[in-house]
Amino acid sequence: MDDPQATGLTSTGVLIEAVARGSRGALKRLYELESRRLYGVALRIVRRPETAADVLQEAFIQVWQNAKSFSAERGAGAAWLTGVVRFRALDAVRKLGREVLSDDPALGDEALEPGVIEQIDAKAEAGALKRCLALLDDRSRRCVVLAFVEGFSHAEIAERLAAPLGSVKSWVRRGLLALRSCLES
Amino acid sequence: MIPNDGDELHALAGEYVLGVLEPEEARAIEAAFASNAALRRAVAFWEENLHPLSALAPQAEPPAKLWDGIAAQLDDVTPAKSRAPHWWNQPAPWRWTTGGFAAAAAALVLYIALAPASPRYVAILHAPHEDQASFVATVARGGLTVRAVAAASPPAEHAFELWAIAPGAARPQALGVIPANGVFRARGLPSALRDGATLAISVEPPGGSPTQQPTGPVVFVGAVEAL
Repeated sequence: MDDPQATGLTSTGVLIEAVARGSRGALKRLYELESRRLYGVALRIVRRPETAADVLQEAFIQVWQNAKSFSAERGAGAAWLTGVVRFRALDAVRKLGREVLSDDPALGDEALEPGVIEQIDAKAEAGALKRCLALLDDRSRRCVVLAFVEGFSHAEIAERLAAPLGSVKSWVRRGLLALRSCLES
Repeated sequence: MIPNDGDELHALAGEYVLGVLEPEEARAIEAAFASNAALRRAVAFWEENLHPLSALAPQAEPPAKLWDGIAAQLDDVTPAKSRAPHWWNQPAPWRWTTGGFAAAAAALVLYIALAPASPRYVAILHAPHEDQASFVATVARGGLTVRAVAAASPPAEHAFELWAIAPGAARPQALGVIPANGVFRARGLPSALRDGATLAISVEPPGGSPTQQPTGPVVFVGAVEAL
């Protein structure tokens, strides 16, 4: 079942389509190309290496089973994979709880703050997001980043920002609508 | 309730992708995916556009044995096989037939081989829940031929029409009506026919769909694969 041709492929989308046709070689190649990135995404959310490993394993099994639901309509392959991993990680956090951030910069454990968008690689595909995030008010930008990268719920963001839950919900929403309007212009 | 369109829909889809919805709200979104193309597009918009943020999580080396664990588990789960674009699951006119002629027609096998310098593909078309081959198709010198290898005929006053759907395409490309003798020929390689594409046959009025899109049920479907 291994597909030797798949080992030469580098496009995530093409590999996912090969996985959808049952190629284990393509799945292994996807793992080789994407596991460090995806493990990092999971670890950032769940904070425990053993949980992150479980999340990554479940995510790749899910990719194997559900690759056929991937299509160009869902966007780029890398974004689809990230979505699978993030949702698995969010499930794990909601089920198991999460480590409390120590906020000790020496441990690389502090939550991301607004200035963090400067760290976004200014590659072509990130340029629009970076520009549009910069236009948001600070509170909305922090909400979006904390939710996406740290996997924080509304309640966790509210605690983090010491703000009422209702305000956080409306900052998230307002941030999303402003982002969309900027991204589509 | 999923809002119809506009800001409400996009805010909800964005909240879903961020992961801030309550579990029951998220499940309602997922349940609506199959039938709501605007929702799927809105979710794809956010997945794609927010994705660069994920680079803020530093990469890290997963445990060395993790892949072995994944590989060992693959045998225990249903492998990914046939792929049908999800819009085929939408209501009429793209709906699977459940009636008699599909069972009679069983399955199609399309075999597509090009001249040596060209790509070579194979596609196997099945009727839903059937795996018996009824047609073989070949491409030689750039031409596609579909040939019946078992009894397969459309209902009275109807014809089979062949379609190709490029990977990720929203709409199928009409390749033409399969003649009553069960042998279909086309010159050249249709643009939609490539690795990862899907071939399908639907039931249409004699002479083919009047709309350039399928109007009757899809009775055979299969994935095009490079040899």
